[in-house]
Amino acid sequence: MRPFSLWLERFSQFVSLPAAWGIFLTGALIYIVSEWRIRFLALIVQYAFIGVLFARVFDTRPEMALMKIVVGWLICGALLLSERIRRVEQRELEPVGRWAANLPFRFLLLITATVVARLASQRFALPYVSPDLGLACFLLVVLAVLFFGTEEEDPGVVGIGVLNLLAALEIFYFAQDPGLLVSGLMVSLNLLVGLAISYLTVAEVAV
Amino acid sequence: MTLPGPVFLMGGLFGGAVVLQLLRRWTGLMAWLAVVITGGMSLFIALVPLGRRLSLGPVTVSLGDPLNLFGRLLIIEPVDRLPIMFIGTTAALIFVIAWRLLPHSNFFPVGLAIVALLAGSLMVEQVVFAALMIEMAAVLTVFPLHEPVERADGRRYGGRIKGGLQYLVYATLALPGLMVTQLLLEQFAIFPADLQLLRTATILLSLSLALLLGAVPFQSWLSSVATDGSPPVVTFLFTINVGTVWFLLLAYLETYRWLSVQTAFGSLFTSVGLLMMVIGGALAASQRRLGRLVGYATLVDNGAMFVAIGTGQVAGLSLTLIILMARPLALGLMTLGLDGLRRLGKGSDAIDQLAGAAWRAPWRTLAFMVGGVAMAGFPLSPGFAARWGLYRLMAEASLFQAVLALVGSSGVMMGLISAVRALLTPGSGSDRGAALTEDRVVVILIFVLLGCTLALGLFPQPLSQVALQMAQGFSFFAP
Repeated sequence: MRPFSLWLERFSQFVSLPAAWGIFLTGALIYIVSEWRIRFLALIVQYAFIGVLFARVFDTRPEMALMKIVVGWLICGALLLSERIRRVEQRELEPVGRWAANLPFRFLLLITATVVARLASQRFALPYVSPDLGLACFLLVVLAVLFFGTEEEDPGVVGIGVLNLLAALEIFYFAQDPGLLVSGLMVSLNLLVGLAISYLTVAEVAV
Repeated sequence: MTLPGPVFLMGGLFGGAVVLQLLRRWTGLMAWLAVVITGGMSLFIALVPLGRRLSLGPVTVSLGDPLNLFGRLLIIEPVDRLPIMFIGTTAALIFVIAWRLLPHSNFFPVGLAIVALLAGSLMVEQVVFAALMIEMAAVLTVFPLHEPVERADGRRYGGRIKGGLQYLVYATLALPGLMVTQLLLEQFAIFPADLQLLRTATILLSLSLALLLGAVPFQSWLSSVATDGSPPVVTFLFTINVGTVWFLLLAYLETYRWLSVQTAFGSLFTSVGLLMMVIGGALAASQRRLGRLVGYATLVDNGAMFVAIGTGQVAGLSLTLIILMARPLALGLMTLGLDGLRRLGKGSDAIDQLAGAAWRAPWRTLAFMVGGVAMAGFPLSPGFAARWGLYRLMAEASLFQAVLALVGSSGVMMGLISAVRALLTPGSGSDRGAALTEDRVVVILIFVLLGCTLALGLFPQPLSQVALQMAQGFSFFAP
């Protein structure tokens, strides 16, 4: 193994548990803040954390982790652009730092989701992945479910939920079958989902 | 240079999609090219034997040759031919319908790409790749589904995107189950004594397919898509995307025999199917929106297919395929009707806003009505032969279940009668608008589809023969 790969593997082992919680915190920020610029900043940071976990999954091919981050940031750019177009079309000027509606309810849901993910990762340990990667998968899945369940009318947030679900699946699946073809198809799928969500965001106000 | 069948088919479709994207300015040219490409694909598959090498100028095509992609094989098996023909023919039919309804639409190029992916999912052996192709096709479908539709006065309607979002979410939720099934099957090949792996694989595969087919309790996307989506694209989704999932289900039952020999197989399919028929029928009967009626009629139709497979007989399998093949005609007619009625309602398909619309758009109302009768499986439609056969088959085992299935179908009919009654009731003075300016080509299309529906309703033998031929390709119910 090359020295850089060795260093990267040790680094990702060290930071993978904080990265898992980092994913959850950024997801929670997306969930409780309605200001779209903050949401996209959080998504950009979330993709950096997902990249760290990918470095753990693809320990001999760190370029895959880099590609995941680049693809994620590309999607963030597309989502940001379409959200901006939507806001201009709707002529909505929202003050920075506005919180999402039903904030106490959202906090309660987030706490419940954290407990569920933590217990699920202990009770139903995912095979062939380390406990911290398993925890990350569960956290991403509960975030996706929260986004689908409570933000079903907002294409941007539902789209982030879809991307989170795909990221959880990738971490779990690639730990067992890190084939090049599946990886390539998953990258294409992520890009397509990003494009579709951007399109839907704009299509909603195009009429 | 020799091209394997998968490269020729998928490459041709993807290449065609790129060309059509460049020709979007010319709707007629784009639509008919799409028809020629998909129809040509069907003809090619039908006429050229898999083992034969065919010289096409500088290239030689060998349909039966596999494509090896990083060690994964894509191959056209004899059992794949009829499903691919069905996809191609149905796509060609829907492109003809969309020709006059969706000017300059991205539906034609995107539709070709979707057909390529779905055909690919039938050719690939591993579940994981089929699942990824189905998911990609689902994501691509969202683009034309919510493309704003241009009215004759230059205004556009559309803008509600909930249906597409829900479809995207449900299709993505189905993906993990299918991909993990692949892992479990690979593990089972190493540890054949571990039957728990098979049990988990069965549950995951069933859940994923239920999500993709809109089985109860995952049916909400069907009605949302039908309410918010562009009618021709909804028809495409309900016939081609959903149809491919049905063919995949049959292919998995054929490949993984342990699925169909599970003791709960028949009762599970029958129970889910009956639940879908009863719930779909009840919801359809109380609908006040035409789009939702289309969605719930499809739910009942899918339920009937589940019940037919649940009989565990080759006859049931044939009935499933007849229902699937009859669906494009019925939904095509409903599409033509719904499109016109929505234009009349300025984008709305609420029955209350369309009072008296039958007098302003008679042909569209007729198309919607006959299409609805066909979807409900009532007489003088190809669906009737299949449903009648299904009721008889069910009655042999349980008369109560047969009556329940009939009640579900009647729910769709009741919803349709209620809708047509409202469309025929003249509105108040302020409600009366101008009549819909009919495109002659659309009227001709309506008549052609009506003729085909009635002809196949009166003489369903050609359809049942093709279905029987397809069913005989699957041997999992053979004694």
